[in-house]
Amino acid sequence: MAEEMKMRATLQGDVTDVKVLMNHVMETGLRKDPKTEKFIPAHFIDHVVATLNGKTVLDAQWGIAVAKNPFINFRIKGAKAGDKIAISAADNLGTQYSGETIVAAK
Amino acid sequence: MPAKKSHLVLPVFLLGTLIVLSACATRPEPGKTKMAPLELEKPAFASPWVRYKGWPSEMWSDYSTVAAVVPSIPAEPIKIEGPITGDPKKGEKLAYDRSRGGSCIACHIMGKPVPPLPGNAGPDLSDYASWGRSDEFILNYIYDHRKIKPDSIMQPWGAHKLFSVDEIKDIVAFLKTQKSPAEFKDNLENPKTRPIPVETRDNFDPFLNEAMAAVDKGKELFGKEGASKKSCASCHTNPEQTFRTWAASMPRHESRLNKVIGVEEFVTRHARATTGDDYLLQSGGNLALSIYLRYLSNGQPINVDTTSAEHKQAIKRGTELLGRKIGQLHMACVDCHTTERGANKWVRGQWLGEFRGQIDHFPTFRTSRSEIWDITKRFQWCNVSVRANELQPGAPGYGDLELTITALNNGMKLSVPGIRH
Amino acid sequence: MDKLRRLYLKSAGAAGVLLAAAGAGLLKPGEVFAAAWNKLAFSSNNVNDAMKNANYGGAVESKDIILKVPDIAENGAIVPVEATSNIPGTTSMAFFVEKNQYPLVADFELPSGTEPYISTRIKMSQTSNVRVAVRAGGKTYMQSKEVKVTIGGCGG
Repeated sequence: MAEEMKMRATLQGDVTDVKVLMNHVMETGLRKDPKTEKFIPAHFIDHVVATLNGKTVLDAQWGIAVAKNPFINFRIKGAKAGDKIAISAADNLGTQYSGETIVAAK
Repeated sequence: MPAKKSHLVLPVFLLGTLIVLSACATRPEPGKTKMAPLELEKPAFASPWVRYKGWPSEMWSDYSTVAAVVPSIPAEPIKIEGPITGDPKKGEKLAYDRSRGGSCIACHIMGKPVPPLPGNAGPDLSDYASWGRSDEFILNYIYDHRKIKPDSIMQPWGAHKLFSVDEIKDIVAFLKTQKSPAEFKDNLENPKTRPIPVETRDNFDPFLNEAMAAVDKGKELFGKEGASKKSCASCHTNPEQTFRTWAASMPRHESRLNKVIGVEEFVTRHARATTGDDYLLQSGGNLALSIYLRYLSNGQPINVDTTSAEHKQAIKRGTELLGRKIGQLHMACVDCHTTERGANKWVRGQWLGEFRGQIDHFPTFRTSRSEIWDITKRFQWCNVSVRANELQPGAPGYGDLELTITALNNGMKLSVPGIRH
Repeated sequence: MDKLRRLYLKSAGAAGVLLAAAGAGLLKPGEVFAAAWNKLAFSSNNVNDAMKNANYGGAVESKDIILKVPDIAENGAIVPVEATSNIPGTTSMAFFVEKNQYPLVADFELPSGTEPYISTRIKMSQTSNVRVAVRAGGKTYMQSKEVKVTIGGCGG
C-alpha cells in the first residue's frame, strides 16, 4: 500500500494545498501490443474521493485520458495542521487504492 | 581450462574477501583510493544483450555503428534523359511518411498546407521549384548528396535504400510543385519564430519528477545488506560527505577493464566485489543507486579529468565517434548537436541541443516513455533512431562518448535526476 | 466486501444501495463514491455530446475561468493542465480534449470549502483544443485553449 500513493498536504494561510501522485498504468484500451497486434485491455482509475477528517472534499470521475501515474493538486479551506486527508480510489477492474496524509503547516 | 579455473575459485574468493575487509578497514574515499574493489570478469549487463521491449526490432547490420565502421561508398550520379515525370501526390505522401526515417518535414518546410510543426535543420523548400535546380540534380541530391555536397547533414536516401529511384522521382515531382513561400497559422508553427523550449520544471519535486522516488530507493539499497552480509553503508558510513563530489568526476578510465566506465558500471562491479549484490546495468536497482550517488553530488560542477594520458586518448577516440556517420540514416552525433550543423534548430517539433547541456541531468525521467534513462540508454536510443544497431551497455565506445561529452560539460552543475520529454 | 462495493457502484440506483450499505456499517463514509461512473459521458466521441452527457451542456465561454496549459506539449502522454474558476459558487470542474477519441478526461465535484482549482496531467492523442467546463449556481461555463502536441523528429 505504501507505494500506491504519495501525498502531501501543506497549510498556507487558510488554504491547504493537497498534492497526490498515484501509481497506476492508466492503460487506455486503445493501444495495441506491437508483438501480438491485440489491444491491451483498458485499466484505469475511474473514481477518486478525497476526505478531510472523513468529510468529502473532492469527488472525481476519471476516464482513460488521465496520464499514467496520475497526479492531482487541489486546495481546501478549513483544514488545520494535524488534520487527516485521505484518498480512496478505485479502477475499472475493481481494485481499490487508498492513501492518507496529515496536514502540515508550511 | 574450465577444470583449472574451478581450482581458482576459492583463492579468488578469499582474496576478494580480504580486499573487502582491508578496503573497509581503511575506509576508502572513492576517487582517492587507487584501487576500489571491482569484479572484473563477468559482463555488467544482462547477457546476451537483447534490445529493449517496445523499441524498433529492425536490425541494420549493413551500416556502421559506434563499435564498427561498415564502409559506405558515395553513389555515382544517376543519368536521366529529359524531365522527370513522377507523381507529385505520391511524392507528397512519401515526403510526409514518418516510417521511413522521420520524413522530409523533420528537417524541411514544404507542402501546401505545411504539415504541423515542421523542422528547420535543413533549408526551407517551400519555394524549391524556383531554385532553378535541374530534375537530374534534385534526383541525385536526394538519392545520395555526397558527390554533390559532401558536408551536408542530408541522408543518402537512395544509396542507403530508404527510397527507391522511382519513389525519389515522385518526390522530385512533388518538390517541383513547391512554388511559394510557406504560410503559417501562427508563430508556433513556424520553426523560425517558435519559442525555444526552456526547461523550468523543478526536477527535485517528487510530484513532478517520478525519478525522485529512485533517490529514496537508492538510499534504501545503499543501506541494504547483500549476500556478503555487508551493505554499501558498512564501509561508506557517511555517504553525504564521502560522495559529495565523486559522481561529478565520473566517468573515468578504469585500467583493470581498459575502458572508461561511468557511475553505473562502477556500481555493478563494485557491489559484486563488496556486498555481493548483482546490480546489472539498466536494472532498477542499478539506476536507483546511480541516481542516489549522483544526487549526493548535486550542485557540484562536473569535473572529469581531461589531462591524464588515458583520458586524452579516450577523448580522442570519443571525438572521432562523435563525428562518425552511423546507421542507415548515415548520421553523426555532430550533425544534430553542434551549432555548425543541426544544433539549435528544430527536427519537427523537437529542439536539437548542443553537447553542452546534455549531461548534467542524467539519469533523467523521460515523460514520453515514463521511464528513467541513464546516458547509455540515451545513446542507444540515438543509435536506433538513426537506424544503427545499438551496443550493449558498458560497451567501450559508449564509455569514450560519455567521457568526451561530459568533458564538454565540465563546469556545469550536476542536477540529477532530471526530467525531460 | 470490496467486490460487493464495486457491484453497488456499477449498478443502477447505486446511491440508495450505498446509503443502505453505509448505514449498515459496511462502508466508511469517506469511501462512498457519490455516483456511478458516467459511462455515457466518458464514452461519447464528440466533445459537445460529452459535455452534454456530463451535464455541462450549453456552457458559455467565460473569462472568469483561467485555464493554464502549455502552448506546445513535448509529448501527448503527459500534458499538465491547471484550471481556476473565479465564478462564485463553482461546484464542479471537468476537462475535455476535443480531438481525443473520448473527449471527457475527468470530472471533479468540488464541495463547498474546496477551492475552485484543479491541477492534473492528461493524455492528448494529437494537437487539440483543451476545454475546461465549470458548473456554478446551476449554470455552466467553459474556457478552452489549443495545445500543440509535438511530433518527434526521428520517426520510426
